[in-house]
Amino acid sequence: MSPAAKVLLDLLPYLAALGVGVIVPKRKSLFERAAVGIVAMLALVLVRGLWPATPSGGAEEAMPREWPHLLNVVVFLPIVGALTILFTPRQSPALLKRLTLGFLALDLGASLLLLRVPMTKGWHFQYIVDWLPSLGIRYHVAVDGISLWLIVLTTFTTPIAAYASFGSLKGRVKDLCFAYLLLQGAMLGAFVALDLFLFYVFWELMLVPMMVLIGVWGGVEKIKAAYKFFIYTMAGSVLMLAAILYLAWAHHQAAGYWSFDYLALSRLSLPRVAAWLCFLAFSLSFFIKVPMFPFHTWLPDAHVQAPTGGSVILAAILLKCGAYGYLRFCMGLFPGPAWAAGANLAGIAVGGGILYGALCAWKQDDIKRIVAYSSVAHLGFVMLGLFAASQAGIEGAVLQMVNHGIATGALFILVGVIYDRRHTRLIREMGGLAKVMPVYAALFVIVTFASIGVPGTNGFVGEFMIIMGTFVSVPLGSNGTMQGVLAAAGVILAAIYMLSMVRKMFFGPLSNPKNRGLPDVNSREIVALSPLIVLIFVIGLFPGLFTSRMTETVGSVVERYVDGRKAFQEVAPEVTQPGLRERRGGPLERGYPLSPSERQAREQGAQALNEGEAP
Amino acid sequence: MSAELIMALSPFLAVGGGALLLMLAEAFGAPAPAAGKAPDAGSGRSGELALGAAVILIGGALLSAASWAAGPSTTGEAAKVAPHLLLDNYTLFFCFTLCIGGAITALLAGGYQPEHRIDRGEFFPLLLLSTLGAMALAAAGDLLTLFVALETMSLGVYAMCGLRRGSVRAAEAALKYFLLGSFAAALMLFGFALLYGATGHMDLAGIGEAVKSIGAAESTVSAPMVIVGLVLTLVGLAFKVSAVPFHMWTPDAYEGAPTPTSTYMAIAVKSAAFAVMLRVLLTGFGDERLMSWGTGWPPAVALMAVLTMFVGNVVAGRQESVKRMLAYSSIAHAGYAMVGIVAAMRSEAAESSVLFYLLVYTVSTAGAFGALILCGSRGAEAVSYDDLAGLGKRHPAAALAFSLFILSLLGMPPTGGFFAKFYVFQSAMDAGLYPLVVIGVLNSALGAYYYLKVLVYMYFREPLPGAPVAVPMRSGMVGAALVLSAIMVLVLGISPGFSFEMALSAALPR
Repeated sequence: MSPAAKVLLDLLPYLAALGVGVIVPKRKSLFERAAVGIVAMLALVLVRGLWPATPSGGAEEAMPREWPHLLNVVVFLPIVGALTILFTPRQSPALLKRLTLGFLALDLGASLLLLRVPMTKGWHFQYIVDWLPSLGIRYHVAVDGISLWLIVLTTFTTPIAAYASFGSLKGRVKDLCFAYLLLQGAMLGAFVALDLFLFYVFWELMLVPMMVLIGVWGGVEKIKAAYKFFIYTMAGSVLMLAAILYLAWAHHQAAGYWSFDYLALSRLSLPRVAAWLCFLAFSLSFFIKVPMFPFHTWLPDAHVQAPTGGSVILAAILLKCGAYGYLRFCMGLFPGPAWAAGANLAGIAVGGGILYGALCAWKQDDIKRIVAYSSVAHLGFVMLGLFAASQAGIEGAVLQMVNHGIATGALFILVGVIYDRRHTRLIREMGGLAKVMPVYAALFVIVTFASIGVPGTNGFVGEFMIIMGTFVSVPLGSNGTMQGVLAAAGVILAAIYMLSMVRKMFFGPLSNPKNRGLPDVNSREIVALSPLIVLIFVIGLFPGLFTSRMTETVGSVVERYVDGRKAFQEVAPEVTQPGLRERRGGPLERGYPLSPSERQAREQGAQALNEGEAP
Repeated sequence: MSAELIMALSPFLAVGGGALLLMLAEAFGAPAPAAGKAPDAGSGRSGELALGAAVILIGGALLSAASWAAGPSTTGEAAKVAPHLLLDNYTLFFCFTLCIGGAITALLAGGYQPEHRIDRGEFFPLLLLSTLGAMALAAAGDLLTLFVALETMSLGVYAMCGLRRGSVRAAEAALKYFLLGSFAAALMLFGFALLYGATGHMDLAGIGEAVKSIGAAESTVSAPMVIVGLVLTLVGLAFKVSAVPFHMWTPDAYEGAPTPTSTYMAIAVKSAAFAVMLRVLLTGFGDERLMSWGTGWPPAVALMAVLTMFVGNVVAGRQESVKRMLAYSSIAHAGYAMVGIVAAMRSEAAESSVLFYLLVYTVSTAGAFGALILCGSRGAEAVSYDDLAGLGKRHPAAALAFSLFILSLLGMPPTGGFFAKFYVFQSAMDAGLYPLVVIGVLNSALGAYYYLKVLVYMYFREPLPGAPVAVPMRSGMVGAALVLSAIMVLVLGISPGFSFEMALSAALPR
């Protein structure tokens, strides 16, 4: 067979999906048909990319080579896009929108390439270059089985959020596009950074565009909400900066050279008090971002005031930065304190997050506030899985982060749909909407099911794994059983408040005359929602596609967590100087920062080798 | 004078000679004031003179860089002027910073003065002479040069403050600054007299040696007199950097003075005062006992740093006027830099962190004041937050520039401000000053409130109906100054490596 024919044969399924998407829907404009077709094709690319590859040919061919710059492209493509937007005239909004979507789509494509590599233990697509050698600061990025999913979630959700909001937001398109692209770059950077300085840079970079999203297009109290969001998160993160500085200093004391690298700092064995204080500083910053009870009060305000697209990004991705940070940094750097505090924190996650969040959601009369409080409850599940720190718990937590991103993102888009038509979000204004907007009602019910966790949808898998992980968790001990039971009760509460909202909105008599003749969802909204709906079922029915790629990474995380806790217990209470643990070697420490003398020796060795080979 | 000495002194010669040339140009080049012009309007030559001043100052900066590249000039011929002028890397680093700050000020004034009808040519020779004083202050190695340089710098600024003769506020600003400044200078002079009396030395190195000998059997140096002298000197310098509780003049003087003068006071005067503070404390009082936490100056400076940060940040949040807010913000920034000075008692890296901080602070503050200048025009100067309302929509370029500098002052990555703060706190951590670091980072979160207020007004609010709207001016020179500062802010934030190495090698030898 000629190579051209082979390529054509490979592309055939995608072309078929494209054709189905273009021909089947009843739409007038060709552009809309093309958009639906492209969505169908991308969904197929995603599903096929996720499928475990069947090895063909030799073993080397089966392991695709990792292109080291792929992560740089993924992170900096949106940032370059943001700069491009800056120099694009604001008088042509159509061009701005197309450029933004183009950059975001390219980024999605680039991030899907990450799925081609099997996520074995250790770091992948690692790229290291010195940034500030005299302080030991490096540009060090890599992915593993955990950050992989968050990256894909980010690149997947942002274009949807951008596309959905382009329909409803008029005016100041340039600022909007700039904020989306910059935010996307910053979030991706935070997920891949393995140098704590780099991580902090990206972490702070997220704040301003998000604040702009809330403050420019928000509701009546937008300025208050924007301030609240910014000051809350900033207060948390500056304490984290102090802790990062302490860690680097401790590494300098113990090893004799500066480094901010995650791999090097996770070897530190700190004195007890210092370890506890640093753990508190890091976790405070992450808990505010998640947000965990009692730091959750900024979230409902921010959500209610933010425009639809801002809410989607806030709920789907930004909150995950907190949970990811806890998993990567708190558990990786301070396993001892994290283990010791785990049971109590899990209690807060269950009581303050899952149960209290659900009860708060039940009492709200604004749909968006209900969804916002449901986020508090769902993030309670995620954090419970992390505190449980068992294989199933962490896998479930990571999966639940993705699930929550998809389901809540879809819910916020759906809330935006009704808000665009009625300019209110109060439940008492609704009622009987299923009669005038049948497609909308059907979509809403599907997404609600996913959010509650009905079997067959994605929410079920994540929550089930987390509750299972809680029962078997070692750090939680005997509390785990009780917490598992209460978390299961939280699922029931979720069903109560979500379904009662659905009943009041969609069923019963169409009592409010203003609701007569509301148009059903338009093609833009369908295009934005369809990939999310597809994924709800893909994850719900084939969760193995997702968990299989994180198993090895989560396994090594759990293993290191247990070892680290043991080492922390061996630190005598009277120790006041930081020390270093043994290096473990292996793929997890690939790219370990060398001390200046080691580096010199290595360079000389390489030189000697070259000279030896020359004649 | 040999060629080597001339090379080493070239930044000073360039700026001083330039000042004299500009004075001649101003005196002979000005046409007679036309009839019908406002009496205060001046000669109308600001544009040309500003360009001349900026070229001379940038030349001074380049010459500093060149004589840095030519090698350490403390030995050989250049040592002939020691200890009156110490031409080491430390001096050259500050000469560079001060010249850049002065050049930006000149460009800003070149746009601001014609726009607001205070087109007075004498501003520019004064600016150059004052910069010369500031550079000499950074280089001063004995108390006499120090005092003369300090007065050279200050006298120029007093006059620059009162440039707008018709305005009551300007007169108040100049008088307040002058009276309090003279008082502080007198205190400092008294301190110098005591130090000379106690140690018998005018040069800092000699004082350092004498202080070290305190407690030895044959020493005749009186410790109480040295301590009183140290305290008085510190007070005088704290006045110049506007550290709390010697900050009272700052907001009034900054507010009343023409904005370019406020810029100059905030950047050059403060940087030079920090330069001399660091040198006096480390060279003159670098004795182990005096640098210890128990018996020396660090706790006093640390207390001032904490007070300065808190008062600066808290009071800045209560201001209605952006200019006053920037004045208080400059007070708060003095506090962060003083954290670095305290840390310098234990590590050399901390010293370079102060140097780096001042460089970044210079360009960020110059940019912020410059953006404020850009946002106003004749008869409608942008002063309060309300003047900025909705600017992001009406004049996106001016608003974008303002945001960049505000974010740098706030310490947001990827601007230079973030890295400078990071480096200061990192070196304080290295010196074991954990409480200072925690207080410092909490203060930078506190500062977020009032810096964000600028962004909030520019992007999130619309002007009140009927309110006078500030219209941005059009000036190539202000634009050039902003572009220069913006490039430096971004370069210092994204790839600080080079300037960072420079700051490291500029640290004073121990």
